[in-house]
Amino acid sequence: MEKPLFDVVGIAVEIGQALLALALAPALVGFIRWMKARMQNRRGAPVWQPYAELRKLFGKDILVSQNASWVFHVAPYVVFGSTVVVSLIVPILVTPLPFNAVADLFAVVYLLLLGTVFLALAGLDPGSAFGGMGSSREMTIAAISEPAIALAILSLALAAGSTNLGEIAARTIARPSSALSPGHILAFVALFIVMLAETGRLPVDNPATHLELTMIHEAMILEYSGPYLALVEWASWLKLLVFLMLAGNLFVPWGLATSLAPAALAIAFATTVAKLVVLAAAVAVLETRVAKLRLFRVPELLAVSFVLGLLAVASSFSVR
Amino acid sequence: MQGVFAQVAVLGSSGVLLCGIILLWRRGVAAYITAFAWQSTVLAALTAAVGYFGADPQLYVVAALLFGIKAVAMPRLLRRVARRFAAGREPDPYVNTATSLVVSGLLVLLAYAAARPLEAIADVPTRAGMPLAMGLMFVSLFVIISRKMAITQVIGFLMLENAIALLAVLGTYGVPLIVELGVFLDALMGFLVMQIFLYDIHDTFSTVDVDVLTRLKH
Amino acid sequence: MLLTGLLVPWMLSAALSSVLRRSHRLAAWLTAAAGVASAASATRLWLNALRGEATVVGSGALFRVDGLSALIACCIAAVAGLAMLPGSGIEKSDAGPDGARRFRIFGSLFALAMLVAVTINNVALMWVAIEATTIVSALLIPLHRSKASIEASWKYILIGSVGIALAFAGTVLAYFDFVSLLGRRQDALNWTLLMHVAPSLHADVLRLAFVFLLVGYGTKAGLAPMHTWLPDAHSEAPAPLSAMMSGVLLAVAQYAIIRWKAVVDAAGGPAFTNQVLMALALVSIAIGALSLVRQQSYKRLLAYSSVEHSGLICLGLTFGPAGVFASLLHLLNHALAKSVSFLLAGRILARYRSADVERVSGLMRVMPGTGALFAAGLLALMGLPPFGLFVSEFLLFRAGFMSGHVVATSAALVLAGVGFVGLAGHLMQMLYGAAPDGVAKGERAWWGLAPLAVPLLAMVVMGLFLPGAVGRLLGRIVEAMSI
Repeated sequence: MEKPLFDVVGIAVEIGQALLALALAPALVGFIRWMKARMQNRRGAPVWQPYAELRKLFGKDILVSQNASWVFHVAPYVVFGSTVVVSLIVPILVTPLPFNAVADLFAVVYLLLLGTVFLALAGLDPGSAFGGMGSSREMTIAAISEPAIALAILSLALAAGSTNLGEIAARTIARPSSALSPGHILAFVALFIVMLAETGRLPVDNPATHLELTMIHEAMILEYSGPYLALVEWASWLKLLVFLMLAGNLFVPWGLATSLAPAALAIAFATTVAKLVVLAAAVAVLETRVAKLRLFRVPELLAVSFVLGLLAVASSFSVR
Repeated sequence: MQGVFAQVAVLGSSGVLLCGIILLWRRGVAAYITAFAWQSTVLAALTAAVGYFGADPQLYVVAALLFGIKAVAMPRLLRRVARRFAAGREPDPYVNTATSLVVSGLLVLLAYAAARPLEAIADVPTRAGMPLAMGLMFVSLFVIISRKMAITQVIGFLMLENAIALLAVLGTYGVPLIVELGVFLDALMGFLVMQIFLYDIHDTFSTVDVDVLTRLKH
Repeated sequence: MLLTGLLVPWMLSAALSSVLRRSHRLAAWLTAAAGVASAASATRLWLNALRGEATVVGSGALFRVDGLSALIACCIAAVAGLAMLPGSGIEKSDAGPDGARRFRIFGSLFALAMLVAVTINNVALMWVAIEATTIVSALLIPLHRSKASIEASWKYILIGSVGIALAFAGTVLAYFDFVSLLGRRQDALNWTLLMHVAPSLHADVLRLAFVFLLVGYGTKAGLAPMHTWLPDAHSEAPAPLSAMMSGVLLAVAQYAIIRWKAVVDAAGGPAFTNQVLMALALVSIAIGALSLVRQQSYKRLLAYSSVEHSGLICLGLTFGPAGVFASLLHLLNHALAKSVSFLLAGRILARYRSADVERVSGLMRVMPGTGALFAAGLLALMGLPPFGLFVSEFLLFRAGFMSGHVVATSAALVLAGVGFVGLAGHLMQMLYGAAPDGVAKGERAWWGLAPLAVPLLAMVVMGLFLPGAVGRLLGRIVEAMSI
């Protein structure tokens, strides 16, 4: 493993990476929406529509319910902040990062969970029926997806010998044939299923619905308006980008820059965009083809992910 | 070359096992039959691959038989039975879906533990897939005892046979040809007899739910 | 030559029965002749084995008939011959002449498959033959179609096939062990070669294989807790089929267990196999004996008795050479007693038209000959002198105490006592009392009864003094097993 770069240039690259992630997230979601529209034979809004939404929301007033407490005000910042911190440690362009020492896979997962918990609290806070319903559904799904994601991480960590993100990526770069090992593939599928659950995509949750029967994430943020809503929405798009980058860069890490040379960074940028496009297209296709699962079937789907994770762990364990 | 062989073997075995686990996840009989057909196809392909890497042309014959009988003929017959009985979905099984899936995961872990002595003495490149074959055996047994429809039990039994065939292919590159032929014949005859009984059960009981087969007690 | 005489008559009988659609009597007598011919060849094979030579036939020693094979082959030939005799009652049963013809065809194939299983040298081909017996017998159980018989045969074929599949898994594991040591050879799966190389095989792999083999073949042998198909199948099958299944099919499965136990013991010592076998055997004896107490159907009564005796035979295998001797003697006697009892039960069923113990009473008055022989059969199964089962049980328990397994042997003794009480109670109920209305009195077709008395006489002979032919053969088998 190379010596981490603890200098100004390194830190600048880190912050630049986080800013890049923030900038790309709305485009990612716009792209997914555009692809779904095209597949449904509609013209669809242009890919940069989410940027316009954000600008609109930042200019609006905040309307807060009389029953809301400090949690309601704090939650958007916590959610946004935790997701930005995660984007600082996930390898998007460069590995190993200057903050690599804290770039632990468990840290990533539980930072994201922090955001989820605060969002659920914020859904309960104003005391509206929709918010409470959304929060309870969200926590159900989160509770069942935690073991699944833990197992998927464990299998990766077993194969690499450490839960450090940089290590895992480096191991896979060093041994290309391990990318095709069944432990790897099973962990990828398990992680993909959990990603669908955590980021609120079909078949677990419909991000475009406002029907009482089908809302989960939308129900929790129903009371938010103005800049708060902008922060929360941006955070959820960033979460999607972070998960996709995790999936892409841990399992197919080629293209990540291992030095700060401009040429390497340019290649890394290009491959990042390419991986995002491919994964986003996969998500869009899946969302168009699959119907939303009824809520009591979601545990079955997550149980499948759990079993795949279990198989991945067993398989990685036996290879050692 | 050996590395590729080992990878192919483990990938194939994982595919075979996953097709078996689908039986615990989905509820429709059509999905079961499709899963079985895919499983047999992957198994036949894996057998052919072992024949290629292990330089044993007899395995090509075995792979062809596997494909013809288990991936083409048997699913066709099963679909005809299912269509005739209008058996759409499995009624609530004795163990619910999420629990079944978790149990199957644990059974695979058990298989890994049980197969330790096998991996210790094996020197064939395909040995990493043997615990998966044993896992499929346990999962098939679980399917047979926890499902209520007779046709699901038959599919579970056919998957058990696939699992044992996989074990034979991975561990010893297949058993001697005459034994293989005998086993195929037996499997085919057994399946045909079970078919006859499926029709009989349906004619006599007007359903293929084995929960109603409770007349004989003690 | 001898082997041809053993196997070919059954092939001819099946072929001729399927061709001769109209002439039932001719087909019936041909089948009977086949049985006699096969039994004669089996006896010659027994005599050969007595002299210590194993009859080997076929290239690469495909068929090999040593002492154990000859013993069970004789049982099979004798019981099958008895069951296929024209007087066995299959024509009078509800199946009608068409059913009788089906029975002759598939029954001959059934006997053929069993004989092949015990005489073939290749372990995997033995498995193929045993699987064939499952399929053929499953086709015969619903000879008379009813809801109960369909249910019974479904359970039989499903549980039987699953068990057999597990036995194949065990075979594959043993083959894997062999191959990893000695490479792939054409004759790798021959018993003789396996016994020869067993000491150098890996013990823990063989132990894993033995667990699968025991569960698999134990299912066919009626060991609990895989026995659930037995009572149903036997209560619904026609009586001659039950006679063959309970008498000798269980014996064929036990043959497989004995052979495999010898191989695994040669590899890693008998401790593990003894433990596992003893556990299953005790559970079987317990379930068999305890179920005998509360039974309503006399056919199920006999079926549970089979479970109990199967457990006793397997228990004896764990008691060392003396125990193995006792087990083999028990196997022989049980085959004779159980088959005769089932055939007699068939006659009772045909007369009383009910399988309930409560509906059958006054047997001594209604059918004195059948009643007397049935009583003799049940007394034999209870383990009373002067029948051979008394001697074998005595030897078994003695071997148990002498080999130090006091707890297990005492438990088995107590349970056998419970079984005794159960059988005795039902027997008394059936033999005495007033005959129910609507049942014709008087014995008919004495000539059908006469052949059934022969095995009972043979058991009395073996109970009073063990003939040299039997004793010496059993001694040779125990030597060859060298457990």
